[in-house]
Amino acid sequence: MIAYKAVCKSFDGGRYYAVNNVSFAVQAGETLVLLGSSGSGKTTLLKLTNRLLEPDEGIIELDGQDISRQDPISLRRRIGYVFQGIGLFPHMTIEANVAMVPRLLGWSRSTQREKTNQLLRMVGLSPDSYARRYPEELSGGQQQRVAVARALAADPEYLLMDEPFGALDALTRDMLQQEFLSLKKRLNKTIVFVTHDIFEALALGDRIAILHAGRLEQIGTKQEVVGNPATDFVRDLFGKAAQQLAAYGGML
Amino acid sequence: MFGDSWIALVGERLPELWLRTGEHLMLTGVSTGMAVLVGIPLGICAARIRWLRNPVTGAVGILQTIPSLAMLSILLTLMHKIGATPAIIALTLYALLPIVRNTLTGMETVPPAVLEAARGMGMTPRQRLWLVEIPLSTPVIVAGIRTAAVVGVGIATLSAFIGAGGLGQFINRGLALSNTDLILLGAIPAALLALLVDGTIAALEWGLRRKRYSGSRFKVALDRCLRPVALSMPVVLIAAGCVAYFSSSMSPYNPFWGTRVADRGTLRIGTKNFTEQLILGELMAQLIGARTDLRVVRRFNLGGTMICHGALKSGGIDVYAEYTGTALTAILEQPVIADPDRAYEVVSREYRRRFAARWLRRFGFNNTYAITIREADAVASNLQTVSDLVPIARTLRAGFTAEFSERPDGYPGLRRTYGLQFRQVRDLDPALMYQAIATEEVDVICAFATDGRIAALDLQPLSDDRGFFPAYDAAPVVRSEVLDSHPELRQVLGLLGDVLDDATMQRLNFEVDGKKRQPREVARELLESHGLLRKEK
Repeated sequence: MIAYKAVCKSFDGGRYYAVNNVSFAVQAGETLVLLGSSGSGKTTLLKLTNRLLEPDEGIIELDGQDISRQDPISLRRRIGYVFQGIGLFPHMTIEANVAMVPRLLGWSRSTQREKTNQLLRMVGLSPDSYARRYPEELSGGQQQRVAVARALAADPEYLLMDEPFGALDALTRDMLQQEFLSLKKRLNKTIVFVTHDIFEALALGDRIAILHAGRLEQIGTKQEVVGNPATDFVRDLFGKAAQQLAAYGGML
Repeated sequence: MFGDSWIALVGERLPELWLRTGEHLMLTGVSTGMAVLVGIPLGICAARIRWLRNPVTGAVGILQTIPSLAMLSILLTLMHKIGATPAIIALTLYALLPIVRNTLTGMETVPPAVLEAARGMGMTPRQRLWLVEIPLSTPVIVAGIRTAAVVGVGIATLSAFIGAGGLGQFINRGLALSNTDLILLGAIPAALLALLVDGTIAALEWGLRRKRYSGSRFKVALDRCLRPVALSMPVVLIAAGCVAYFSSSMSPYNPFWGTRVADRGTLRIGTKNFTEQLILGELMAQLIGARTDLRVVRRFNLGGTMICHGALKSGGIDVYAEYTGTALTAILEQPVIADPDRAYEVVSREYRRRFAARWLRRFGFNNTYAITIREADAVASNLQTVSDLVPIARTLRAGFTAEFSERPDGYPGLRRTYGLQFRQVRDLDPALMYQAIATEEVDVICAFATDGRIAALDLQPLSDDRGFFPAYDAAPVVRSEVLDSHPELRQVLGLLGDVLDDATMQRLNFEVDGKKRQPREVARELLESHGLLRKEK
């Protein structure tokens, strides 16, 4: 379980809060989607979770332990992270990329290899043809699969995903979303998933937290947030999406 | 240019060429290596610590703007040492800029997304540096090292000015003797060496680069075979340099040996960088070699009066030939003394007191400056004295040595005494000065009275009718310490006073400048003709 307790973060010494007094909890095994437009504070919140950033106020707890008292290096190795810009190491093979955290943790070479092959197969890439290639030789979708495999390499209990499918074309994105759904059933991880895409949020999240201008507008299941919006902002958000959908439907 | 004579010269000088190439590689290799060891960490610090960035890049940038010869002279003065050490330090300082700057650039061009990924997956700062930042910056850093090494090969030719050896020594001697073949003997191998060094580091870079495995099977196999070859090329080159260098480390030319204080049986002889000095150096060296038990080390062609004087003071050389007028005005900074004997007395006394050095018996010729024009102009305008020149000076272009332009016994004093004002005054290398007047690029030069080229090029010295130029009696100057432990030097070098005079010196200079003969041969001929090389003890 991840608990955010009155978390505040400002980048300009307090004039504007990117994350403003946010409190909620992510239950063990659930996928929580942080939904918001750019500048809403969702990525900041994600980075606070593995101490890439430090909060100005408030506490974040992982399984009841305050993370500010934990060593950031070992904390990060316990949390899988899929980055917005993919961030594969261009000078390393796919194999070396995936095996990085196990390597940092000092696993044996054979265990690293075994795990890497298993994960590559899991994300749909055959180790025989991909393990020794470099990231630039792969398509965007394939690179994103590698990034997911890398985040899962050390069997982390938690997975943070920052718009992992944002830069992909619609077809690839759709395919990866489907794979993500089947993957998360098998893995049973606690996942925090950031997106600005309402449909992605509705498709993937067990619960959705809507952020706006650094504040948490509402948190709940999709039925709750769509059927019973807590604020005008949430109502407008889903209302507009429904209108658009209706407009497209009329065209077809 | 590439006639048979040049090829013959290469053949004849092959052993020395080998040694100089080795020295050259050593100078470049050691300095580039040191710059890598200092520059990469410096670049990394500058990239990591924000406030350090501008001071560091500024400092190495300023180092780069110091002219090479000025840098060498400054280091010479600071270190009181000639030879390879100051040269290597100068080359290292020059090599810093491309290495530091490229390291910094390389570190800064690592994509932020990759860095964030490294941080976010739990790498320590050290792991980020070694696993991500350095590998990703390597191509840019290696490119910087490549620039530094190639530039280093070029600048290393200048270090011969302070007796550090290398291929520049051929170039210097060629310049001193107006011998194009000799210049090319240094310049062409230096250019080839630059290409070789560039190619070697390029190969290293290729060897380090990551390879795709998706090419054709043949290409992948070829890559696998060539990679170890490429990676070992720098090692091969360094090894070749070391072999060339150490295989002749006993050579009397070796600059590292020469920088030490003379051991009991060694005498290091220095010269300035013009023909007469080289002949005098050879005369002294051969005479001492034949008539004493001392082992002679030739540190010829040092870049000028101040460098020779500095080397003598610091013990980098033991003997060189100096001129009374030069010592009095340029070194002791005293007013001109008209009487030659009085001048000799003064410099002898002052050198003993201030520099712990002694003036020995004068060689017996006076190599004064002579304001010189083309003979044809002298006849056409009926010019005989410097005073005759004054009315038409505004139409004339002068070419002087850099020393003459600055020295109080040179152009500044001349201008005051005669009221001379030329249309243009250019600073020229001594050898180029003669060429320039022969090819009518200048009309007036400050020739040396004993220079053989005056006759060879049909030039006319004008008489110094107001007696401005002091006497420039040449004599060996020896460090007192050396003379005390080898008192026989006084007698042996004194012998030269019996065989040299103005006319003889002019003839010897002409043999070298006019007939393109080696100073070594010309000196031996003279000594043999007087029976001075027979050993009598």
